[in-house]
This record gives sequence, structure tokens and C-alpha cells, in this order.
Amino acid sequence: MSEREATIFSLIQSCCSEVILNEGSGSFSIQVPSEKLVFVMEHLKKSESLAFVMLLDHLAVDWKEMGEFELVYQLYSFKLDQRIEVTTKIPRAIPNAHSVSRIWPIAEWQEREVYDLFGIYYINHPDLRRLFLEDDWKGFPLRKDYEDPFMLELVKE
Amino acid sequence: MAVEENSFLLTTVDALVNWSRANSLWPLAFGTSCCAIEMMMASTAARHDIARFGAEVVRPSPRQADLLIVAGTIVKRMASRLKRLYEQMPEPRYVMATGSCTIAGGPFYYNSYTTVRGIDEIIPVDVFVPGCPPRPEGLFYGLLVLQRMIKEGESVAQPGVRRKPVMAALPPAMTLKDIQKEIAALLVERSEVKTRGVSPNRIWEERA
Repeated sequence: MSEREATIFSLIQSCCSEVILNEGSGSFSIQVPSEKLVFVMEHLKKSESLAFVMLLDHLAVDWKEMGEFELVYQLYSFKLDQRIEVTTKIPRAIPNAHSVSRIWPIAEWQEREVYDLFGIYYINHPDLRRLFLEDDWKGFPLRKDYEDPFMLELVKE
Repeated sequence: MAVEENSFLLTTVDALVNWSRANSLWPLAFGTSCCAIEMMMASTAARHDIARFGAEVVRPSPRQADLLIVAGTIVKRMASRLKRLYEQMPEPRYVMATGSCTIAGGPFYYNSYTTVRGIDEIIPVDVFVPGCPPRPEGLFYGLLVLQRMIKEGESVAQPGVRRKPVMAALPPAMTLKDIQKEIAALLVERSEVKTRGVSPNRIWEERA
């Protein structure tokens, strides 16, 4: 971790002490408890010293063995020319997360995509509908336990 | 006698109509993935010019198009739209399936929850052009096969009756020069109306 990243991390920790660093992820990555996510995100964008005004990407990871979904947000600050990866973990049984679409309006689409494929329900999302799949689609295809009779399995000998 | 006269007239009309149909195929501007890029390069760029075969007038509306080149993966959600586009095209309409995805699902055959495994599940196909994506020469070869099919196949008396789908695969060990030579020869050969020996309804010839 570079010196600048260390200062950014200490700035984030000053607003929320529960933020921890994701070790060994290869990039500057922090983990936030899910109930503090919106608060930390708001700070990351609105704080003048940080100004992460751009939400580059939002995606989810299904950790089936650990019984949780990991939500990943990629942020970028023009002011600092710095990327940051914010992750949060939510239980697989109750896949609810707070929407950040009020902070970054583009998150509305990205969260719709994640809802479509992973079935994560975003609280306070203005328009949570399917994006790519048909409206009457059953199940969420990118979950590890997704089953579909249409799909063919490649049998390896 | 009246029947014979009629059939004589119909066969010549068939040849003329089919010749004009084969040489003015207007493709629909429809493409879904990488095959579409290759198709655009084949149809609009100067080096591989599809205008040589009279198929350069790409129409944005299905109501004006004759040829549907299905270029690219068709997923379940696109399937209903593709069918609708096909149904909006006026008769006679021809369909070319280019690339492995449209033929059989291609690399998305296994473990895919969306990809349709071959568009012949949705719409009837006249010519299959294999490749991933097919080279422009492959596309042209498919187009020439389709033109041959149109010239020899359908008659005005029996519209809609066609040959079975054709797999227009390029023969193996063929070089670019061979293809160019063959295309040049075909262009000369097939630019003429042949009233003899082309049409299947040759009752008049046997009687004469």
C-alpha cells in the first residue's frame, strides 16, 4: 500500500472505525459492514478531500460455501487520480442490501443488473426490475446453485 | 394443349423472375455480435464488396428486405424479436445463418442459460454458412449458393416450395486466390439469364 493510499484509508477510518483493509487483493480494497455501507459511500463521494465522484462498476460474488454474497463497488476519484474497491458482505439467506443509487444515479442500472443475475434485493431502489432477462424469468442464473432444465451439461470422460 | 402452353410460359417467367430475384437480394440490417462486424466489413467496405452480387442495398426496415442474414448469437430474449422481423419481411424471403452460434449455438452450446441452439429452431433457414465468424469469402460463397438455389428452385406456380437447407462450407485446402478465381468465374457465368436447362419444370422441352 502506497503512502497516499494509507492517508486515504486513515481518512475513511476516521469517519467509520469498522472499515478494514482487504489484504492480498492486489488492489486498494476496503471492506465495510453492510449496515454502514451507505454512510461510508456518502462520505467517500461528498468529502472534499476524497471526492470519489465516479462509480465505475458494481458487481457481486457468490461465496456459496461461506454462505454469503460479496458486493463490490469500484470507485474513482478524479481529484486524487485514485481507484478504490469497496466491498461488503451480506448473508446468502437474506440477500438484502441498501441501494447507493441516490449517491450515484448510475448505480440504478448496475444494481438492476446485479439483481437480475444474482437476485440481490436493493432497499430504496427506485425501479428494481429485470434488465437483461425476461420479466417472467425464474431464478437468478449467476448464483452457484442455479438450475435450469434448458441448460446442457458437458460430460467429461 | 392449353396446359402445355401455360406451362411453357410459366417456365420462362420462372427463369426470368428467379434471375432477377437472385441478383437483387436486399439484406436486412440485422446483426447481434461479432459475425455482424464481419458482415458489415464484407457488405459495405471497399475491399470485399457485396455489391458485385447485387446485395448491397442494406435495408433498415424488414418490410423492404428480401434476405435476412442472421449474424451473431441469438439468445432467448432476441428469439421472439427475430421471429417477428422474419414475419414482417415480404415473400419471398430468404434466410442465411452465418457462424457457429446461429447454426448450433457454437461455444455457448453447453452451460448456457440463454443461447438458442441454432436458429432453425425459430425460423426456416435456406443457407448455413459455417465459421466463427465466416470470412467474407465464406459469406459470399453462401450468397452464391443462395443465388444458385433461387435460380434453380422456386417456381411462380408453387411459391414457397424450396430446396432443403444447404451448408455452404468452403471446400478444404482452398486459398484466397482460388476463391477469388471461382467468384470471378461465377460472376461471369451467373450474370446471364438461362432459359434452357435451369428450370425444373421442363415439360415443354420434353414434348418439343
